[in-house]
Amino acid sequence: MDNGQSKRFLWRKLGKIFDPTKVVGIDWMREFAQAPSVLIFDDFVRVYFSCRPFSDKNGQYVSYTGFADLNRKNLFEVLNISKKPIMELGETGTFDEFGTYPTSVIRFEDRVIAYYGGWTRCESVPFDVAIGMATSWDNGETFNKSCRGPVLSAWLFEPFIISGPKIRRINDIWYLWYIAGKSWIESDGNVEPVYKIRMASSEDGITWVRENRDLIQDKLDEFEAQASPDVFYYQDSYHMFFCYRHGTNYRGPRGYRIGYASSTDLMNWVRDDSKTGIDISESGWDNETIAYPHVFELDGKVYMLYLGNQVGRYGFGLAELEAYG
Amino acid sequence: MKGVAIMKWKKLGRVFNPVEHHLPDNCFEFAQSPQALLFDNFVRIYFSTRERDTSGKYLSHISFVDFDFEFKNILNLSKETVISLGGLGCFDEHGIFPLNVLRHENKILGYIGGWSRRVAVSVETAIGLAVSHDQGETFTRVGAGPVLTASQYEPFLVGDPFVRVFNGTYHMWYIYGVRWIRESGHSVPERVYKIGHATSPDGVAWRKTSKQVIKDRLNIDECQALPTVIECDKTFHMFFCYRQALGFRNQKESAYRIGYAYSDNLVRWVRDDAGIGIDVSEGGWDSDMMCYPHVFRVGSDIYMLYNGNEFGRYGFGLAKLEN
Repeated sequence: MDNGQSKRFLWRKLGKIFDPTKVVGIDWMREFAQAPSVLIFDDFVRVYFSCRPFSDKNGQYVSYTGFADLNRKNLFEVLNISKKPIMELGETGTFDEFGTYPTSVIRFEDRVIAYYGGWTRCESVPFDVAIGMATSWDNGETFNKSCRGPVLSAWLFEPFIISGPKIRRINDIWYLWYIAGKSWIESDGNVEPVYKIRMASSEDGITWVRENRDLIQDKLDEFEAQASPDVFYYQDSYHMFFCYRHGTNYRGPRGYRIGYASSTDLMNWVRDDSKTGIDISESGWDNETIAYPHVFELDGKVYMLYLGNQVGRYGFGLAELEAYG
Repeated sequence: MKGVAIMKWKKLGRVFNPVEHHLPDNCFEFAQSPQALLFDNFVRIYFSTRERDTSGKYLSHISFVDFDFEFKNILNLSKETVISLGGLGCFDEHGIFPLNVLRHENKILGYIGGWSRRVAVSVETAIGLAVSHDQGETFTRVGAGPVLTASQYEPFLVGDPFVRVFNGTYHMWYIYGVRWIRESGHSVPERVYKIGHATSPDGVAWRKTSKQVIKDRLNIDECQALPTVIECDKTFHMFFCYRQALGFRNQKESAYRIGYAYSDNLVRWVRDDAGIGIDVSEGGWDSDMMCYPHVFRVGSDIYMLYNGNEFGRYGFGLAKLEN
C-alpha cells in the first residue's frame, strides 16, 4: 500500500498577501508578521501572526499576536485587522513579559484555545521562551490567560527555549509539536540558539507527556536549528512541513528553508526534503529565506502560508498545492 | 519535641566563618544555607559561597566542610569544585543555592537551587537534580534542565528545595514566587515567595500541590524561605525563615527570623512560631537576622544549622535541641 511515503508535493506561489509595514495607524503592528496560523470562519479566514512595534532605544523588540481576516472567496482581500493584540503581555517577572510569538490556535467545543511562545529577557543569553495557553470565548477576537505561568517550560532534558507550539487534536488526544533548545553557540561575539522539533501529548491540553526525543533528523549538521513543525493529515498520511537553518551566520544564504517529513503514526517521522516542493524564489520578497510554513485545507484546495526574507519582517505569502504524487 | 510545647535550643555559636578559610572556585565570602550529610566518622556540611565575576556580580558555588560529631574540629574542606555551574542559558548558570543533599537507596542525591540572571527582574530560579558517585565529593547533573520550575499557578522563582523520602514517596518542600513588588515607581522589583509542596514516586517526575503550605504571619507580602522538615515523635516539624518583602537588608525588625510549623500528615501544617524557642541574639554574629535553617540528627541529638547577619556572609552557626 502506498501510504504517502513516496509522494512529492509541488507548490505554486501565489505571492505575498500581507505586509505589516503597509498597515496604517496600529502602533503595535509596525513590522513583522510572523508564524501565521489560520482559523476558518464561514466568510473569512482569520490569520493569526506575531508582529512588533518599532524597537526601543536599545534596539529591543516586544512581540504581540494579532490577526488579519481574509476574504474566504479571495484570500488576497484583507477584510479586517485586529484593533488590539489578542492578549496582553505578562506582568513583571513572568515568562511572557516581552513577547507572544508564535501563536497556534484551535477550536474546541465552544471556545478557541491559543498556545503561544512567551518571551522573557536574560542576561547571558538574549532570551528564554516557554509555552503558555490562553482561551477565547468570543470567536478568537480576544484571549484570556487563565494563569500567569506556562503550561510547558524547561525540564530535565529540555533545558531552555520551549517554543514554536503547534496544537492539534487527533482522535481525542491533544498533540503539541514544539521546539526545545539544545545549546547556545557563540559566534562573532553573539550567542545563537540551536533548537530541535519535539512533541508532547495530553488528555486535557494542560498536563503534557513529553516524547523526549528529537523527531526530525538533522540534514545540515548537529547545529541545525528547526522550527515551525506544522502537521496535517492528507491522503492517508501525516505530513510535517517545518523550517530549518544553519546554527550561525544565518541571516542570508545560510538562513531558513522549508523541510518536510511524513509519518503514519504521529510518532515516527521520515524526513525527505526532496518532497517539499517549495523553495526560495529567484528574486523578490522571498529570495533569501523561506520559513514558518503553515498548511491548511480550504474549499477543496490546500494552501501554505509562509514567511520570506528576514523571517517575516515584511509579511507573509501564500502558495497553493499544485500537485501531490 | 511536640508541636504544642515550647522547644528549647541551646546556641553553640558560629562554627564556620568562610573568610578564615581558603575556598575553591575563587570564593571568598558567604557560607549560606548549610546542609548536613552524615558519614560514619564525620558530618559533612554543604554550603553556598560566592565569587565575583568580571562584571562585579556574584556567582554562588557549593563547597563543603567536614566536622567531627561534636562540631569541635574541622576535619576537611572541599578543595575542588563540588558541582560546576550550569551551561550557557541554563537555569543554574549563575549560582547554586542551596544544594539540598540526601541519601536514598545507596545513592547521594543533590537537589540544585539554580539561579540565572534576568533583565526586567534580577533573577529567575528553578530546581535541578544531581547525583554523586564519589561519596559526596562531587556531583553530576542528571540533566541540564530543571526537574521543578515555573508552571501555570507558580509563575516564577521556584527554588529552595528540601527533599526527604517518607513511606516510599519523595516529598519536596520548596518556594515559589507569587509577585514582584516595588517600593515605589522606580525602585527595583523585589520578590515575594511562599512555601509549596510536591511529591514524586522517583525523585525526578514531580507533582505540585500548587497551594501555599504555610500561612502568612506578617502580611500577604511575607517572604518565606528554605523549609527543612524532620520527623520526631510521629510528628513532622518544619523550620523555615520569613521576612518582610521590603527593608529586609538593613532594618533589623524587617529581616529574616526562623519560623516553625508542625503536621501529622505532611500535608496540613499548623504554624506555631511561638513554640520555636530560638531567636536573634542580643549582640554578635546573629543579632540582626537568623535565616536558612537546616535541622538534622546526629545519633539521638537534634541540631539546627542556620545563618546570621548579612544572610551568612560571615558563616553559619549551630544550635542543639535541649528538650
